[in-house]
Amino acid sequence: MANERLRALEDVEKEIAMILQCAGNIVLELSKDKHNASFLDRQLVQFQSSVNRVESELSGQIRYLTQVATGQPHEGSTYSARKDCQMALNRAEYAKVKLGELGRTCEIMLDQQT
Amino acid sequence: MATQRVLPQSKETLLQNYNKRLKDDIRSILDNFTEIIKTAKIEDETQVSRATQGEQDHYEMHVRAANIVRAGESLMKLVSDLKQFLILNDFPSVNDAISLQNQQLRSLQEECDKKLTSLRDEIAIDLYELEEEYYSSSQWDSTDLPLCEAYRRRDSWASPGTSCSSAHGDREDMDEPPSQETNAQHHLNGHGTASIEKP
Repeated sequence: MANERLRALEDVEKEIAMILQCAGNIVLELSKDKHNASFLDRQLVQFQSSVNRVESELSGQIRYLTQVATGQPHEGSTYSARKDCQMALNRAEYAKVKLGELGRTCEIMLDQQT
Repeated sequence: MATQRVLPQSKETLLQNYNKRLKDDIRSILDNFTEIIKTAKIEDETQVSRATQGEQDHYEMHVRAANIVRAGESLMKLVSDLKQFLILNDFPSVNDAISLQNQQLRSLQEECDKKLTSLRDEIAIDLYELEEEYYSSSQWDSTDLPLCEAYRRRDSWASPGTSCSSAHGDREDMDEPPSQETNAQHHLNGHGTASIEKP
């Protein structure tokens, strides 16, 4: 859920860049002697839709934050689960080391016999 | 319909500030762009000479274009601030992220422990056979230490600062005759010590 909102904000950033690009393209096209009317129309529609989308998306995000924000810091953490997992991995690593030693001992014994 | 939340003054002020910045920047982009398009219109009759009017229009367009870019940058900054505010204050998603992470870590831990338990069961069978082989081999002497004791001493010699344990080990070596009987018992019942140690 958090990732979706953050991705939406990243899309908004791309839309803002699109707004500036469309504005630049329109002015560039107007500076020419012969204008391409269809190109101008397309760019203008794109510009307006991008502006509307940016405004609506950011307003929605601010409205959501107004409903959700409490002003208190969040005190949850994943420390205990992370520690337990780390201990389990340490147990596995220790078992691996001991099995390695056992294997080497068996090889030494076999070499001595041969 | 969501009830009106009572936010701390700072948070409410901050969110109102975000709203204001959004409205101002969007208005700035639209107004400046509209004015640029209006200025681009060619007028025949002007109060000043064409060159002067051209210079004035040129300068005005520059300034308005700069205003559009500034408003765009301000919107980018606003988006960055909103992302930061979201990460810090969006408790539903933070709670979801924490519970998901906890779930993943716990499942990893359970899987690890389950595999270790099955490994232990398999190794116990193999160790039984190894000890059978060891105690029935020609290399093993009745005066030798039991396998578990030999491993224990090797571990204590390998780790430094265990001089006390090695000294104890030396004393145990001197007590050979009484331990020979136990060793004989271990020889007869080759996996006796291991069976004691097995959980």
